[in-house]
Amino acid sequence: MLLRASGQKENRDYDLTAVTHGERRSGVEQEDWLKRLTEEAIRGEWTALARTLDAASHAIGRETAVDCLVVASAFNGITRVADATGIPLDENTEAATKQMRAAVGLDAFAYAAKSARFD
Amino acid sequence: MYPDDLPLSEALRNTHQKTLAKIVSPGPHWSGSERRAMAESARAAEHCGLCKTRKTALSPLGVEGHHDGATTLAPTLLDAIHRIRTDPGRLTKRWFEAVAAEIGEGPYVEMLSVVNSLVIVDTLHRCLGQSPPALPDPVAGGPTGEPAGDVVEAGAWVPIARAPRDMADTGLPVVPNIVRAMGLVPKAVELFFGTFRPHYALKDVKLSLSQAQAEYVASRVSAMNECFY
Repeated sequence: MLLRASGQKENRDYDLTAVTHGERRSGVEQEDWLKRLTEEAIRGEWTALARTLDAASHAIGRETAVDCLVVASAFNGITRVADATGIPLDENTEAATKQMRAAVGLDAFAYAAKSARFD
Repeated sequence: MYPDDLPLSEALRNTHQKTLAKIVSPGPHWSGSERRAMAESARAAEHCGLCKTRKTALSPLGVEGHHDGATTLAPTLLDAIHRIRTDPGRLTKRWFEAVAAEIGEGPYVEMLSVVNSLVIVDTLHRCLGQSPPALPDPVAGGPTGEPAGDVVEAGAWVPIARAPRDMADTGLPVVPNIVRAMGLVPKAVELFFGTFRPHYALKDVKLSLSQAQAEYVASRVSAMNECFY
């Protein structure tokens, strides 16, 4: 999760559990708008998203709101590539993020865990 | 494709146009007509009754039935496309092995690239209140038969591109595993990451978001899609 790396670079301590626990706050700037835009986009709530995009454009600027959706669209595709190829974490990332993944709850998404649940 | 008043870069606009043209062109394992049919099926999956039922089931493997939408694609391929499009967080290795045994690893990887490049294009269109763009007519000709990429077994379900292990200052390898994932089919990598690139960068992202904001959005999408990587 590169949010962790961004926090280290900026000397900020973002709460990474906000990523898996939607009710929590990470501390990223303009988080409320980014979160709402992202969640409605990934859930395919297009009517609600049109209204949110309009409101967010006034609140945080049209470019920022649209760029949030530009990033969300890209990750809606790349997560499917990862999920459909069973790609493992990069070696260093795996070692460096072991505790963080357990704390944040990402281990529930591990391929072995999914096999145990869904096969 | 996108209205002029939307604040999107020229690079992104041009890329999406090229992506559609590449999707309907022959690839190493599939003809242009077959790739176009994959794209049509991926779009049909969004309204598929079987996919909706499976999505709410405890395990998607326990729900049998037929997918909605007329297609010429083989049933196993069609089912894979629908599942990747509508329920990617619950794909498993056993499921993949059954699919790959029937269609082959290379054709599977090429299909992934077609379906997921289109996910990027269609998601952004929908997000911005636009209908997904029409697919061009397929380019004539059979599969090109280009050779497989230089790959290694590295713990993924498919062999992945061989790459140096040097580290970048992002804390990731110079070539992260996700970029290597479709290395079996170099044209698949080219299509998908050609589409992806104007949307995001690992550092110095050229958007009106800060890097941390972009990572927050990316991470939230990953969590919602139940993606481990």
